[in-house]
Amino acid sequence: MKEQQDKSENPLKVNRRHFFSQLSVGIGSLALGSLLIPDLFKGASNDLALEQPLGIPHFAPKAKRIIYLFQAGAPSQLETFDYKPILRKRMGEDLPESIRKGQRLTNMTANQDKFPLMPPKIGFKQHGQSQTWISDFFPHIAKIADDITVVRSMHTEAINHDPAITFFQTGSQISGRPSMGSWLSYGLGSENKNLPSFVVLTSRGKGNSQGLYSKLWSSGFLDSKHQGVLLRSGKDPVLYLNDPDGISRSDKRHLLDHVSSLNKLHHVETGDDEIESRIAQYEMAYRMQMSVPDVMDISKEPQSIIDLYGEDCQVPGTYAANALQARRLAENGVRFIQLYHQGWDQHGNLHNEMAGQAKDVDQASAALVLDLKQRGMLDDTLVVWGGEFGRGNYAQGKFDPENYGRDHHPKAFSIWMAGGGIKPGLNYGQTDEFGYNVVENPVHINDFHATLMHQMGLDHEQLIYKYQGRRFRLTDVAGNVIKDLLA
Amino acid sequence: MTKNFKNRWVDYLVFGLSLFLLFCLIFESYIELPRLVAWVGRWHPLLIHFPIVLLLICAFLGLMNKKIPKVLLTFSVLTALLTAISGFFLGQENSANGELLFWHQWLGGALALLAAVWYWLEGIQFDKPIFNKALQVILVGLIIFTGHYGGMVTHGEDFLALPIEKREAEIPENPLIYDDVVARILDKKCVSCHNPNKKKGELLMTSLDNLLAGGEVRNTVVPGNPQESEIIRRLHLPFEDEEHMPPEGKQPLDPNEIQILERWISLGASDTLRIQHLEPSEPLVDLINELMMPDPMEKWAKLPIVADSTLRRLSSDYVTIRRVAAGINAVSVNLYKSPTYRLAQLTSLQSIAEHIVQLDASGLPIGQEEMNFFASCPNLEWLEIDQTPITDVEMDTLKVLSKLKMLKVYNTPIGDQSIPVLKKMEALKQVYLWNTAMSVDALRDLQKEKPALFIDSGIDEELQASFVGSDSIPKN
Repeated sequence: MKEQQDKSENPLKVNRRHFFSQLSVGIGSLALGSLLIPDLFKGASNDLALEQPLGIPHFAPKAKRIIYLFQAGAPSQLETFDYKPILRKRMGEDLPESIRKGQRLTNMTANQDKFPLMPPKIGFKQHGQSQTWISDFFPHIAKIADDITVVRSMHTEAINHDPAITFFQTGSQISGRPSMGSWLSYGLGSENKNLPSFVVLTSRGKGNSQGLYSKLWSSGFLDSKHQGVLLRSGKDPVLYLNDPDGISRSDKRHLLDHVSSLNKLHHVETGDDEIESRIAQYEMAYRMQMSVPDVMDISKEPQSIIDLYGEDCQVPGTYAANALQARRLAENGVRFIQLYHQGWDQHGNLHNEMAGQAKDVDQASAALVLDLKQRGMLDDTLVVWGGEFGRGNYAQGKFDPENYGRDHHPKAFSIWMAGGGIKPGLNYGQTDEFGYNVVENPVHINDFHATLMHQMGLDHEQLIYKYQGRRFRLTDVAGNVIKDLLA
Repeated sequence: MTKNFKNRWVDYLVFGLSLFLLFCLIFESYIELPRLVAWVGRWHPLLIHFPIVLLLICAFLGLMNKKIPKVLLTFSVLTALLTAISGFFLGQENSANGELLFWHQWLGGALALLAAVWYWLEGIQFDKPIFNKALQVILVGLIIFTGHYGGMVTHGEDFLALPIEKREAEIPENPLIYDDVVARILDKKCVSCHNPNKKKGELLMTSLDNLLAGGEVRNTVVPGNPQESEIIRRLHLPFEDEEHMPPEGKQPLDPNEIQILERWISLGASDTLRIQHLEPSEPLVDLINELMMPDPMEKWAKLPIVADSTLRRLSSDYVTIRRVAAGINAVSVNLYKSPTYRLAQLTSLQSIAEHIVQLDASGLPIGQEEMNFFASCPNLEWLEIDQTPITDVEMDTLKVLSKLKMLKVYNTPIGDQSIPVLKKMEALKQVYLWNTAMSVDALRDLQKEKPALFIDSGIDEELQASFVGSDSIPKN
């Protein structure tokens, strides 16, 4: 609502509809017409998208923030959370066509004439009261089995990394839509005015990696102030945030004031909203000069916390360091904290590479959940762990149980969630005995988005932005809140 | 004009109509109406206005000892008779033969016949004013009662009831599934048409026996078999479908309520079943628990309105004030560490103290003054004062917070002396106490006194130990 008002302040920001809706007030006959047909002259200001006020949840939220531990490259569900003993029993046999059903494959395996079933080399055990199957790659996550909910019935349409990860982040396989974090920032506003409401942290394991592009945290057609801010590891978390040598903070203030007044003049001339965003971003950057170093400084964390996340958390740029950072950002009112850990694309040498990847993320992921829990933040922080799709149950290329790989698989994969009003200790959804298709309680990415938004207090069908004559939602025209997951 | 009305055929008409009405009323159960005649009944709601007004005017004139124009009386009586007859037809057509309709019909019939008597008395120049007056008074009384019953037939029995606060009875602990849950849903959404007065489709939904007996369709509820139960079938029809229940214009059941009915029927549609008899995995348990959960916003409905402009004015770069949800006057306040934190940032919020339900001051250098402010927020439910320098002395201030549910005081120097304060907080459900000076014994004592309280005293030591120096790669 507020945004719309800002827009109409500038006399140049008048469009055709606006013009007519104004005119209708003045001219008697038109006013009469609008009495008879109330919608006749409804201008843009009465659009559906604005029925819900912006910046306030639609209903009482369960979660105030989301920490998304994205495992980029797609970890295999068959080596993490989806235990399928039949793969060992029928090792090397061809994947039955009754299961595959002509499923579209990537060109990496589409030309294989055989699809020999490949069991995981890693062992599985059941953990906790919930008897959750977790592979031995994750001894720490196994210890929090009763705090997490494993969803084994995720599915997507994309079969390659870039469309798949774009789908997960923006609700569409095609680039250009706003990212999930941007939608939340747009719908809920910022919590702490000194930090962006959407922050991105990246790290990279030794496994086979795929690219990560800034389009994944882009605000798309939403105001650019909702864009994710990438915090880099090392001395300058945000590039060019620090003042150059010899410039004092008060000099900076003067500079900003002058730039801002020039910008405002320009805004009056052109009515371009992005100028206002720019002014706001300069101001935010000025405040971030104080807030960011404070948030990023982990030197005051006690030894017990360092122990919890593991030694790695003192090495900037590691997943462990980012996980700890994520907790600190969450404490400081950042709404959406997106972590990416690259290196989960195991087309070959799967066992060894996954062992390395798991070592990177296992302890710190579990530590984050425990740390949030002891701060009473797990109740209102939703933690999500997962990749962009799953992996096939057959060997890619040569059949060698000692050194195998798996190709992409969109039809079923596993993720886990913790906190934020999600039922803890739940095992949700099932795949068939081959781990190939979902047979119970499927959760599509749109459903996943709808559920996340619901937990944040937003109705995914109400948070709408109109752009180029069409109304957009994160879930577009699909998505159902998965009520069974909610506590 | 007057001459015309003196004509005898008017008298015959009145007499004939009266006789016909009397016949209808007496031989009601033998009458089978042709379609066209039934259609005449549809004019009843239109005709009804004439006799009410005209007869009241006549009675008024009579009681004031004014002369009643003969034309007026004739018109009144004729419309009264026609109204009564059309009403009779309408009543025949409507299968909802309830108690209300019975009374409306007989009172209406009596009214019309009494009016005919009056017409006859005027005709023979009957001159005993006391009798005339009595007749007029009775007539007015009949008009009032007939009208009232008629109104109840069309608009529902509680149409004229004073707008009392409609509070649904709360579902008790361990509810009877039928009495406390199912019947509650039916009362809310179905009984307005399926009651002894309005019995649509011959179906009564006021008791389990009635439900099992069914209406025109026998298998309304088939215990143990929701697929065969007519009620479930109709609930699931698309809204546009003629047979969808409740019909268009009435409030439909929400999905949760439909599921409850379905599960209850598949469990045998018993009226002795209680929630405690069910397995915890039975979906009905969750469904009912959800229903029992009070609307979290309701408790804040009575808060006075706080303007957005006020909230904006009080906000600053380091103070975030937000509504809990759209349209709710309860707010959460977040104070962030700033290089220039001043007490005034907090005390300026005094004007909205009663609206504050959540407050986060963690990590701030707060002291007694701030604690006084917290204590002055009567609706505070959630308070974060972890990682602050507060001690037992200041903690004592908080004992007045009777609505506080969540308290975070970890990483503070408070000790055992704060235990009595925690004990005093009646609503307290969660408290985070790790890394304080509290002794294990004191915490155990607190837990004993408040068994329902969730006390977090940090990560389990064993678990913490297993995280130190451990390795993710299994050694095999």
